[in-house]
Amino acid sequence: MKKSSIIFVSVTAVVMVALLIGIILLEPHESGDITETMKDAVLHENDKIDFLGLKVNPGFISALITTVIVVVFAAVVRIFAIPRFKLQPGRFQLLIETIVNFFDSLAKQNSPHRNGFLGAYIFAAGIYIFVSTLLELIGLQWVAASGESVTLGAPLADINAAIALGVLSYLVILSGGIASNGFVGAGRTLKEFSLPISMSFRLFGALLSGLLVTELVYHFIALSFVLPVVVGVLFTLLHALIQTYVLVMLTSLFYGEVTEPKKKKAKKSKSGAVAAASK
Amino acid sequence: MPLNIDWQQILLHLFNFCILALALYFLLYKPVKKFMAERTAHYKEEAAKSESLRAEAEALKAEYSEKLSAVDSELELKRSEALHELHAYREKLVGEAEAEADAIVEKAKKDASRERKKIIDGAGKEIADMVGAAAEKIVLGSTRNAYEDFLNAAEKSIEEENELR
Repeated sequence: MKKSSIIFVSVTAVVMVALLIGIILLEPHESGDITETMKDAVLHENDKIDFLGLKVNPGFISALITTVIVVVFAAVVRIFAIPRFKLQPGRFQLLIETIVNFFDSLAKQNSPHRNGFLGAYIFAAGIYIFVSTLLELIGLQWVAASGESVTLGAPLADINAAIALGVLSYLVILSGGIASNGFVGAGRTLKEFSLPISMSFRLFGALLSGLLVTELVYHFIALSFVLPVVVGVLFTLLHALIQTYVLVMLTSLFYGEVTEPKKKKAKKSKSGAVAAASK
Repeated sequence: MPLNIDWQQILLHLFNFCILALALYFLLYKPVKKFMAERTAHYKEEAAKSESLRAEAEALKAEYSEKLSAVDSELELKRSEALHELHAYREKLVGEAEAEADAIVEKAKKDASRERKKIIDGAGKEIADMVGAAAEKIVLGSTRNAYEDFLNAAEKSIEEENELR
C-alpha cells in the first residue's frame, strides 16, 4: 500500500472515531420546538424579511438572489463567451448549446405548431427552478425583520413563488391557445381550469417536502452526520432536476395541446350521401 | 389568506421572474439560438456546395467514361480497318508476286524453249555437216583411212585419260 493511501485511511478512521465519540457523548440537542420549526418553514410567519419597506418571505430574497446570479452569468456569457463561439464547440459552448437546445427541442417536440415563445418561456422557467432549488445547498443567511438569522431556502418552497410560476405558466398556455385558435384555444385552456392550482401546488409540495425533510434531519444533531449528504445534496439535486423537467414538460404539453390547429370536418360528398340515403 | 398566501408577494415573484425571463431571452437564449441557426445554415450551405460539386464530378466522370468508351470503339474500328487494309495490301502483294513469278516462269519457259530450239537447230546443222563430210569422204576417198584415223583418235584420248588419272 502506498504511503499516501495509508495516511488517507488513518486520517479517515480517526475522524470517524472522533465523530462517533462525539455523537455518543453529546447530549441530544434540540434547536427549539419541531412543530414551530415546521410551521415556520411552511408559513414563514416569524421570519419575514424587510425588503424596501415590504415584509416578504425569505423565498422572495432567494428568488432575487437567483435572478441576480443568473442574469450576471448570462451577461458574462453574452459578453465574453458567445462572441467567441466556434463552429466546432468547446466544452463550455457545448454545455450552453445543449441546455438551450434541450428546451428548444422540448418546445418543438411537444408543440409543433407554435413554439417560439414557448421555448423561451420554458428555458427561463427551467433555469429559474433549477438554479433557485440548488440555492438551497448554499444555505445563505439573511437577517429577518425580527433580527434573527434566517437561512434562505428554495424560493419555490414558498407558496407565493409556486403560485406565481404556476399561474404564469397557465397564462402562457392561455395566450398560446388564444394566439393559435382564438376563442377555441381559450376554451381549450379554460377547460383545464385546475391546471394553475395543480402546477402551483405540485411545485410547492415537492420543494416544501424536501425542505421539511431537511429541517427534520437537521433538527437533531445526531442525524446531522452522513445523512445530510443524502437528504441535503441528493434530494436537492433530484428535486431541482425533476421539478424543472415536470414543470417545463407539463407547460409545453398543454401549450402544444391548445395550439394545435382545429381539425376540419370532412365534407360528405353528394354521391356518398345519396348512397347512404338509398340504404 | 390560508397558507400565508400574499398577493403582493405573488406579484413581486411574477415581476422578478419576468425580469429574469427577459434577461435570459435577450442575453442567452436568442444569441445562442441565432448562432446555432447560423451554424446550421452554414453547414447546409456547405452540404449543398459539396452536393453540387459531387454532381458536377459525377457528370464529368460520366462524360469522360463516355468519351473513353467512344475512343475505345473508335480505336477498335480503326484497328479493324487497318487490319482490313493490311490484308488487302498483302493479298495485292501476293497476287503481284504470283503474277510476276508466273511471268518469270513463262518467260523462262519461252527462253528455254527458244534455246532448245536453237540448240536443236544448231545440232541438226552440225549433223548435217558431218553427214555431208562423211558422204563426201565416202564419195571422195577411202573409208579405211577414216576408220583408222578414228581409232587412232580414240586410242589417243584413252591414253590421255589414263595419264590424267
